[in-house]
Amino acid sequence: MKQIWSIAATTLGEAIRRRVLLVILLVGVVFIAIAPGLGVLSARSETTVLRSMLLGIIQMTSAVIAVVLTVYMIPNEIERRTIYTILSKPVQRWQFLLGKYFGAVLSLAVMMALMTGVLCIAYWIQQGYNAQGLQDLLKAPVMFFVQMCLLAAIGLFFSTFVSPLVNFFLSGGLYLLGSTFSLLFQDMLANPNAPGVAKMIATVVNVIVPNFAYYNIQNPIINPQVVIQDEFQNYVKIMAYGVAYIGALLVAGILIFDRREV
Amino acid sequence: MTRKSKLPLILLVVFALTQAVIGRVVVFPVWVKDYKPKGNQANAGGLSPDQLLLSLAGFRELIAGILWVRADSFFDTGNYDAVLPLIRLVTILDPHQIDVYATGMWHIGYNFTDEDQRSDRRYIPSALALGKEGANNNKETYEMFFETGWMWYHKVDDDYAQAVKWFEDAHERPDIIQARKNLLSMAYFRAGELEKGIGLLNKLYEEAVVAENKADATYGNTQVRETIENNLDTHLVRFVQRGEWARLQDAQNGTNTFEQGDYDTLPPHDVGFSARVTVEAPRAIRVEGTWNVLPIGSRIRIVLRDEDYPNAVPAGMQWDMTDEVTLDPPKNVTFMQDQLFIRNRRFDRRIDMSKDVTMYPFTKDKYVVEFYYNPRSAPPHLQDKFGYTGIGFTDSNFLDLQARNGERVMYTKLELTRDQLLQRGEWADRNAVVQTKNFDPGKRVGSQQDIINIPNLRAKS
Repeated sequence: MKQIWSIAATTLGEAIRRRVLLVILLVGVVFIAIAPGLGVLSARSETTVLRSMLLGIIQMTSAVIAVVLTVYMIPNEIERRTIYTILSKPVQRWQFLLGKYFGAVLSLAVMMALMTGVLCIAYWIQQGYNAQGLQDLLKAPVMFFVQMCLLAAIGLFFSTFVSPLVNFFLSGGLYLLGSTFSLLFQDMLANPNAPGVAKMIATVVNVIVPNFAYYNIQNPIINPQVVIQDEFQNYVKIMAYGVAYIGALLVAGILIFDRREV
Repeated sequence: MTRKSKLPLILLVVFALTQAVIGRVVVFPVWVKDYKPKGNQANAGGLSPDQLLLSLAGFRELIAGILWVRADSFFDTGNYDAVLPLIRLVTILDPHQIDVYATGMWHIGYNFTDEDQRSDRRYIPSALALGKEGANNNKETYEMFFETGWMWYHKVDDDYAQAVKWFEDAHERPDIIQARKNLLSMAYFRAGELEKGIGLLNKLYEEAVVAENKADATYGNTQVRETIENNLDTHLVRFVQRGEWARLQDAQNGTNTFEQGDYDTLPPHDVGFSARVTVEAPRAIRVEGTWNVLPIGSRIRIVLRDEDYPNAVPAGMQWDMTDEVTLDPPKNVTFMQDQLFIRNRRFDRRIDMSKDVTMYPFTKDKYVVEFYYNPRSAPPHLQDKFGYTGIGFTDSNFLDLQARNGERVMYTKLELTRDQLLQRGEWADRNAVVQTKNFDPGKRVGSQQDIINIPNLRAKS
């Protein structure tokens, strides 16, 4: 356990020093800061667009950070040959991989916390102090964090056997697919004219592909008139799904990395 | 863990199966019910790739806002055709934008017109479908229920039971504003549910009195109370003078006081409808005829449509025939609807459909020209004679109890062919003329004794 946390802490330190991540973070923070000025684009209420924009920016920025952070993790260690130094110590490969993953998760937590802090300030300035409104708004970044942990697990999984560039497109593509497929899948299920075979194939894909859309809980937050019962239970279920999927990805990554020549 | 250990494989299978079961069986139904954005993403095909990407990435409301601002600018420049697809996209992306739904409904239902400002009725099913979709997506507020009811009440102006249904749904929502509650009573009257209409006015009056007597009452509360009181008084007087109270008592007691009474609706007035349609030029017809009602306010509906128009009913169509909002109604069918205004007990109107060939394509061989009058839609001063439901209304030739399920309406139709309307073939150098059997070219108005003495609400001497 000690080894895992040591690697995680080192990974966090590296991530905070990486300029590319800091630039992405800065862009996200700037966008969040100027978002209140775009509330005029709403025909209904500025609050709606403001919430939508703030949450959208956090989500997109976090996704880019998660992918960029993880695609280089293993290849960089191999390329810089630092992995030999680490693995020559009493550290198992699975411990190394888990340490890297938890380091990525910690990095995401720090960066997303910073963006969420700016979001709170921007929302406060625009809307005035509204504890309930802020509390509701903060549910989304929490679920986005779980979503990004899942995305980081995908990035790390692919980084055990593909190059960073390929991994970037694979992870990014899977994120887009996972964010959109459930919408199309549900529409297809509801469509009585869709062929049965297509529905069956779609169901299989729906089970295999990580469903990032499950974490997009912002709809009832942006439109608060939607009443949800057992909200806490829902969040627990959605998180359990993420934990199981992350577990599968990490174990698969360990299996591949364990057999790989470095 | 060693390479030979089976634990990782077992863990992998367990995790994979767990995520599959939780994801598909536990989370997916929850997500569909509570978190899935409403609206069909597959229909957002009008978005550019970047807009689609942004909307799928969580910026739906932002993209919807930008599109709405664009739509507004198209309104300002009069580019109405460009507005509709944008409105549809906004409602798909952000189905809680009630203003956009309401504006879209109004735009689809009212603003597609020909040169003479006749609205294209082929769009109305789509407008109603949009209203229905908006109401379903915003069930917590009265607004789209009211707007959809209004379209039935004002635009369709025929099927008042539908207006009642939608207004009643609006009334069930707690956020309905006081000033909009009255309309349900008007819909009740036109739907023939007179007791309900009076009952609702009574209830609204009591509520208004309570609101007016509250400590924080405003001048607005007084205005509302006075308006309802005035409505209630007027309808109570009319209720009695039109004999509705007597008819109600007769129905309850098995008596026959209405027939023996001196009510304004007795005896029923024969409106003596007759009509002639002349094709004066290709796609242009002249419609003339008689209607023995002197006071201004009568408007007879005229419909010229394909004989086999889909889902047609006499002088109309099944307006709620679809739940699909299509911005491209069938372009190969013709449905013209207009009003014939009565002046001096006659009408004479030229209807030119030649300037808008996409609205009136005339692709079918046979057409019908329908004439329709429903006393339920008549203004109050004419209803003082005809009654709320037409009990004081008749036509010796064209009274029809079938066209609207037992309602007393005037209905008749004439037939024309495509060659006649387009003046082709044997009609190339002739004007086709079709007329009702009672049309008399020499008698262009009803006789003097046909004039109605419109009753007034003052006490009889």
